[in-house]
Amino acid sequence: MGFSKQATMRAIVLGDRDRYVRLVMFVCASISFLAILLIFLFILKESLPAIRQVGIPGLFFSTNWNPNIAKPNAGHYGMLAFTWGTIMTTFGAMIIAAPLGIGAAIFIDQVAPEKMGRVVRRGIELLAGIPSVVIGWFGIILLIPLINGLTGTAGYGVLAASLVLVVMALPTITTLSAETMKAIPIELKEASVAMGATRWQTIYKVLVPSAREGLIIATILGMGRAIGETMAVQMVIGNARQLTFSPFQRTSTLTSRIVTNMGEATGVFRSALFAQALMLLLLSVFLIICIRLVSRERKA
Amino acid sequence: METATENKMVIKDLTMYYSGFKAIEDVSLDVPGQRITALIGPSGCGKSTLVRCLNRMNDLIEGVRVEGEVVLDDENIYRPSYDTIGLRRRVGMVFQRPNPFPKSIYENVAYGPKLIGIKKKPELDSIVEESLKKAALWNEVKANLQESGMRLSGGQQQRLCIARVIAVQPEVILFDEPCSAIDPVATQLIEDLMAELKANYTMVIVTHNMQQAARVSDFTAFMLVEEQGQPGKLIEYGDTSTIFTNPEDKRTERYITGRFG
Amino acid sequence: MSDRVRDGRRADRVATGLFWALGLITVALLAFIILEIFGRGLTTALNPKFIFGKPEAIKNGGGVFPMIVSSLYLVVLTLIISLPISLGAAIYMSEYAKKGRVSGFIRFCLDSLATLPSIVFGLFGMALFVVYFRWSYCLMAGACTLAILDLPILLRGTEEALRLVPNSHREASMSLGASKWTTIRQVVVPGAMPGIITATILPIGRIVGESAAIIYTTGLFVRNIPVSPFDTAAPLAGYVWYAQTEGIQADYIKIVNGGAALLLIMVLVIYFLARYLGKRYQEKRLLGG
Repeated sequence: MGFSKQATMRAIVLGDRDRYVRLVMFVCASISFLAILLIFLFILKESLPAIRQVGIPGLFFSTNWNPNIAKPNAGHYGMLAFTWGTIMTTFGAMIIAAPLGIGAAIFIDQVAPEKMGRVVRRGIELLAGIPSVVIGWFGIILLIPLINGLTGTAGYGVLAASLVLVVMALPTITTLSAETMKAIPIELKEASVAMGATRWQTIYKVLVPSAREGLIIATILGMGRAIGETMAVQMVIGNARQLTFSPFQRTSTLTSRIVTNMGEATGVFRSALFAQALMLLLLSVFLIICIRLVSRERKA
Repeated sequence: METATENKMVIKDLTMYYSGFKAIEDVSLDVPGQRITALIGPSGCGKSTLVRCLNRMNDLIEGVRVEGEVVLDDENIYRPSYDTIGLRRRVGMVFQRPNPFPKSIYENVAYGPKLIGIKKKPELDSIVEESLKKAALWNEVKANLQESGMRLSGGQQQRLCIARVIAVQPEVILFDEPCSAIDPVATQLIEDLMAELKANYTMVIVTHNMQQAARVSDFTAFMLVEEQGQPGKLIEYGDTSTIFTNPEDKRTERYITGRFG
Repeated sequence: MSDRVRDGRRADRVATGLFWALGLITVALLAFIILEIFGRGLTTALNPKFIFGKPEAIKNGGGVFPMIVSSLYLVVLTLIISLPISLGAAIYMSEYAKKGRVSGFIRFCLDSLATLPSIVFGLFGMALFVVYFRWSYCLMAGACTLAILDLPILLRGTEEALRLVPNSHREASMSLGASKWTTIRQVVVPGAMPGIITATILPIGRIVGESAAIIYTTGLFVRNIPVSPFDTAAPLAGYVWYAQTEGIQADYIKIVNGGAALLLIMVLVIYFLARYLGKRYQEKRLLGG
C-alpha cells in the first residue's frame, strides 16, 4: 500500500485548508452587506453639511429651491417639489405599467400559444436590456413631438416621463409576474376548469387571487425601478424647478435634479444633492419594508 | 465452516441518529478480510445507512450522530480527529446510481491518484490502464480514453466508477446497491468482476436482491426494521450458505422465503 | 344555453382579446423602439468614420472610438473584479452556508442591493473611489462601482449554476478521499462552468448600457483612448447622454442617433450571444457531454 503515507500527509494539509477556504468565501459573501453599509454611510456623510446648514424641514419638506452656485451657503435647497415629481412620475408610470405588465404576464402564462408566449417573453427580455439613454432618446424623438402635437404644450413633463418609465419598469413587472403565475400549482387551474369555468373566470377568480402577493411584489419592484430611473427621466421631464400638478409642465424628479446640477454644485449645494440621494435611499428602504410585509403575509 | 480469516473491519454496537431520529441501533458485525460480506433486508431497514458509516460518508449529512465503534485494522475510525479523508481512500465506495464525473474516462480514473499527488503522465497512464483492466473495462474503452465518461452505457459507467475507486488502491470497497440501476447483462458482468476482485480487496455489498447476495457473497447479514419509526437492527449474521439454507432467526427465514420484503 | 353561460363566454372572448392586445403591445413597443433608433442612427453607427473617429468637443464630424474602447475596457475591468468575488460568494452560499440566519441575511442584503437606484451607486462610487481614495475620474472607479452594482445579478446566476451540479458528483469526489475545497475546485466549479459563463453575459449588457453609475466615476468626455485603468474614460452610454444634454457639438443630434444605434447593436449582440450560449449549455447538461 505505497500510497498510504503520502496520502495521509497530504490529507492533513488539505483538511486544514478547508477552514481557510470557508473563511475566504464568507468574506466574499459579506461584501454584499459591507456594500450596503458603506453606501448608506457615505451618502449620509456627504449629506450632513446640507442637513446641518439647512435643517431637515428646510431640506426635505420645503419647496423652496434656490441654489446659489457662487455662494452655496446662501442658497435654498428644499427638495419637496422634486420628491413630488418622483412620486407623480412613479404613480403615472404604475397606472399603465402594472396592468400592462401583469396582463402581458397572464398572456404569456395562460392565454398565448407556446410560440407566441416565447416571442413575448423574449421581447420583454430584450426590452429589459435596452440602455436608459436609448429609451430617453426615443422619448425625445417620438414622445415629445407626439405630446406636443396632441396637446400644444412643450411636450416635456410628467406625462412624457411616466411613459418613458413605463418602458423601463415593464420588463421587471412582467418577468416577475410571469414567474409568479408559473409557480401556481396546476391543480388549482384544473379544479376550476373541471367545474366548467371559462378561462377568463379561472384567471380572475382563482389564479390572480392566489398569485396576489407575488404580483404585488412585482409591482413594488417595478416602482423601485421607476423611482430610481435617472437618465431617461432627465431627458424628457424638462428639468424646471417648479412644483407642478400638471402632466404637461416642465418639472423635475429627485433623480433628474441630481444629474442636472451635480456638475456645477459645490459645498452645501453639492451636499443638498447628496441629501436628495439620501431621500432616494429612504424611498428604497420603504419599498423594501413593504415587500417584507407582503412576503410575511404570504407565509402566514 | 470456513476458518476465520482476520477481520478487516469490526463494527461494535453502532447506533446512528439523523437529527435525533434513531436510524440504526446496536449493530455489531465482523467484516472479514478479502471476503465479500452482503447486507440484505427490506427497503428502509438501514443497510445503506450502515454501510455509509463504514467510510464516514454519513458525516456529510447535517445533524448526524454516531455511538459505538467501527474499527479498521485495530483503529476506531470514529475516534476524534481521525483522518476521514485518508479513511475514504482506504475504504472506497461504489454508489447505487453510476456517477462518473463530467470529465473524460481518463480523467475520471486519474482523479483519485492526482489527489494523492501523482502527477507524472507515465505513472498516471499506467495506473489508469491497470485500474480499467481490473474493472474489466479496458478493452472497451482503451481507444477512447478522452471521451466523456458520461457517454458510456449504464453498466460501463458503473465499471468506470469501480475503476475510479480501484485507482486509489483501497483496502476495502463498499458497494451500495451497485446493480439496481443497471440491466441484467451488465449486472452479471459486475458480479463476475466482484468475484475476481475478492482476491485483493475486502468488500461489503448492500443489495435488495437476495439471489445476488447468495451468488456473490461469503458472509451475509440480515437487517430489519420491526415497526415503522423503529431503528434498523441487525437480526442475523453468518456465512452465506448457512443463512440461506438454515437461518436461525424466524424473521430471517421469512424474508428469505419471500414472505415479505 | 342560459344567459349566464352566454355572458360568461362573451366575457371570456373579450378578455382573451384584451390579453392578446396587451401581449402584442409589449412586442410592438420593442419593435417600434428598435425601428426608430435604427432608422435614425444605423447609417451613422455603421460608418467607419464614426466608429473609429476621434470625438470633437464643438465642431462636427466627431467619432466615438475612445468611447467604444472605454465601454469595452470597462466591461473587462468590471468582470475581472466582480467575477472572483461573485464566484466566491456563490460558492459560500451554495457549498458552505447552512440554511439559516446568516445565509438568509446575506440574501436579504443582496436583494436590497438590487433595489437601490443606480445613481446612488454612482454618487457612492464618486464619494468613495474618486474623492476619498483620490483616484479621480477613471475606469477603475467605474469598474469597482459597477462590480458592486452587478453583484446581485451575477451572484444569482453563478449560484444557480453551482447548485445545478448534481450532488452525486460531490459524493463521488468526497468518497475518493478529496477534501471539500478540492471537490469544489476540481468537480463542482468545472461542472458549473458553462452555466457560469452564461450567467456572466447578462451583466455585460448591463455594464454597456449603464450611464448613471458611470458618469460620476469614469468620466464624460475624452479625446484619447484610455490606456491605464486609472485613466479617465468616457463609456459610450454616458457620452451619448452628455452629447444630448449639453448639445454643444454642431452635429450632436447625429452623434446621439449614431451612438444610440451603436448601443442598441451592442446590446442585441450580447443578448443573442447569451441566448446561444444558454442553449448550448442546456444541451450539454442534458447530454452530459
